[in-house]
Amino acid sequence: MDLNRPALPLQDKATTRKALAATAIAAALLLSACGGGAAPQGAEQAAAADPSSGANASGAVNICGVKDASGIYKGTAEAFTKANGKVTAKYTEIGATTDEARTQIVQRLEGKSTECDLFVTDVIWTSEFASQGWLLDQTKLVEANKDRLIPSTVETTKYQDKYWASPFFTNAGLIYYQKDKVAKPETWQQLYAEAAKAPGNGYVYQGKQYEGLTVNFLEMLYSAGGEVLNEQGDVTIDSKETRDVLNFMSDGLKNDSADRAVLTYNEDPARLAYESGDFGYQRNWPHVYRLLNATPLASSFAVAPLPAWEGGKASGVLGGWNLAISAHSTNQAGAVAFIDFATTPDWQKHVAMDYSQAPVNEAAYSDPAVLQKMPFATELLGSVKGAKPRPISPVYPQISQAIYKNVYAVLSGTASTEEAVQKMAEEITTAKASF
Amino acid sequence: MATKTMAPSRVSGRDRAERRLALRMTAPSLVIMALVAAVPIGYAIWLSLNQYSVRTAGLSRFVGLENYITALSSSEWWAAFGQTFLFAGLSVSLELVLGTAMALLLNLAFKGRAVLRTVVLLPYAIITVVSAITWQTMFQPNMGLVTNVLSTLGLPGGDVVWLGEHGYAMAVIVMADVWKTTPFAALIILAGLQVISAETYEAAELDGASKWQTFVNITLPLLRPAIVLAAIFRTMDALRVFDLPFVLTRGANGTESMSMLAYTQLRENRLVGEGSALSILTFLTVMVVSVIYVRFAGGNIRDVAKEEQ
Repeated sequence: MDLNRPALPLQDKATTRKALAATAIAAALLLSACGGGAAPQGAEQAAAADPSSGANASGAVNICGVKDASGIYKGTAEAFTKANGKVTAKYTEIGATTDEARTQIVQRLEGKSTECDLFVTDVIWTSEFASQGWLLDQTKLVEANKDRLIPSTVETTKYQDKYWASPFFTNAGLIYYQKDKVAKPETWQQLYAEAAKAPGNGYVYQGKQYEGLTVNFLEMLYSAGGEVLNEQGDVTIDSKETRDVLNFMSDGLKNDSADRAVLTYNEDPARLAYESGDFGYQRNWPHVYRLLNATPLASSFAVAPLPAWEGGKASGVLGGWNLAISAHSTNQAGAVAFIDFATTPDWQKHVAMDYSQAPVNEAAYSDPAVLQKMPFATELLGSVKGAKPRPISPVYPQISQAIYKNVYAVLSGTASTEEAVQKMAEEITTAKASF
Repeated sequence: MATKTMAPSRVSGRDRAERRLALRMTAPSLVIMALVAAVPIGYAIWLSLNQYSVRTAGLSRFVGLENYITALSSSEWWAAFGQTFLFAGLSVSLELVLGTAMALLLNLAFKGRAVLRTVVLLPYAIITVVSAITWQTMFQPNMGLVTNVLSTLGLPGGDVVWLGEHGYAMAVIVMADVWKTTPFAALIILAGLQVISAETYEAAELDGASKWQTFVNITLPLLRPAIVLAAIFRTMDALRVFDLPFVLTRGANGTESMSMLAYTQLRENRLVGEGSALSILTFLTVMVVSVIYVRFAGGNIRDVAKEEQ
């Protein structure tokens, strides 16, 4: 954003402490209505979850999160209650969309509400929530369960060398292609070249100005070897790789590899456009498989993992949902027991079979029963294992805006690659300073 | 009135008592107004004078007008400002013209008028987000109704990605707003039309005025208060536009409104101070515009009211 915001020197400057304290008290009084406390409490002071506590747990556990469209949350809560015998779990829907759920969760956490023991969190929320000291440190729990979890999914729960949640189910992009018209995509370059060959071969993806564009862009950037932030958290997006990918994407729109209409597509319009049969390739999430199977394209489409960048490797961006224990939970042991259950290899099979979600346990993908329900499990595992998390930062929403707004500007032709890359880097740096 | 026969001193004493009673009787609603309007606005102003830590919820620092300076010196605010006014100007003028035409039609005596008056209001009853999604579907490239019809008829615009181009995206948003709220403007103007007495028209007819002369010299001037009222309502609404661009474009292609900018900072980025400053700026903009309306056009409301007495 251009709305420059200098870093807040709150915790560092003793000289301003007194004035600050007065303001903080005033703010706290005003905020008390919505429960905002003023006591500084960060990730450093967070308490840890005890992995062995789950065995002796009892009482009730309340899991809160987004509307349960696939039934997985309520289903898991019921199955857990039945299997455990001592702990009863229930799922509470607190938002119809991902954004609403985040707002609701933030409100509860800021207000130190004890209503929810566990939150189902989008992978991109981890660092924001952890940095506030809102979550229980799950490092020991994750370490104990590590052998049954796919490493890339565990990475999405990491912030400052600790784990703040346990992966529940994951998600990764796939390429759907018309095998009667186009070849299986091996590289992005091959996909784009093939897509430009004939009018009915085009590629559809999510190019609207929103979070989905960040994902589509990063999938290519990661496979090209680029990154947004390095290990130390420095902004490294101003690179040759970023320029290459941006030029590649905008050339794709000019030479008709991709229809200009993608600039208005999020997930559903992209799927609907593809269902018309006028396209060769589509990038979308696994849930589209079932929907495509119910169309006339059922016999002609196939699934592939995301392709590699020419001369690089295949990569992707991880989606999915984690289980985070609220720092204000009154039944932490019950929450641990629930996580233990949800991540067992056996339940992870049900995650795939009963709810068509991508398991976080690798063995589940090769289970015959799973393969029968989810024939593309092998391709999905390929995408999941190669995928990386989105930039890990408490100000991720701002970073993502800096990415998708500037990528969009290049794609729609209102900015040059060079301008966009510089602006992107600048805005991400500013965003990081706001933390 | 009864007071006319009373002595002046007793009049004022009675008056004062009446005023006190009036005050007492309106006090509950005044208190409620203060609670639901003044307190939140005051709180938002306070929030906008502070910078809030993203790191620690609730921790803040008083920064005075810094958030305002940041906002007013950012290109994004001015872009949103211009785009919002462009939207408001286009949509409100179209709504007033079409609304007046619609009101004139509905004012004619014909069979089924009552039914039509109700039907015409339907778009206004539809939730904006729902109508936005409908418009999005209609303008979808390749399969949308509008794009399909245009390309089948060989008209320009059939191969345009409407929501993906500057200008076109704004056009769709304006259309969606005009479709939805023209009935509202029509309803207010229709009410104004019905106040105009039949004698005025009879007199005009006797004087030999043509239909057009009657419309320009009688209907329009007498309708002015109603039109101004509709304009005030619609402009205030249009300047706060959020849902249409949010659903249709997410602010891409020159359609980001002032309210969207405030929402992003407040909700998505949790920059409470900056977001509140943007909200207050939006609020002030709307207020200034409505004051201007009342000062320059609203005077007529009083004039006409006097004339009618």
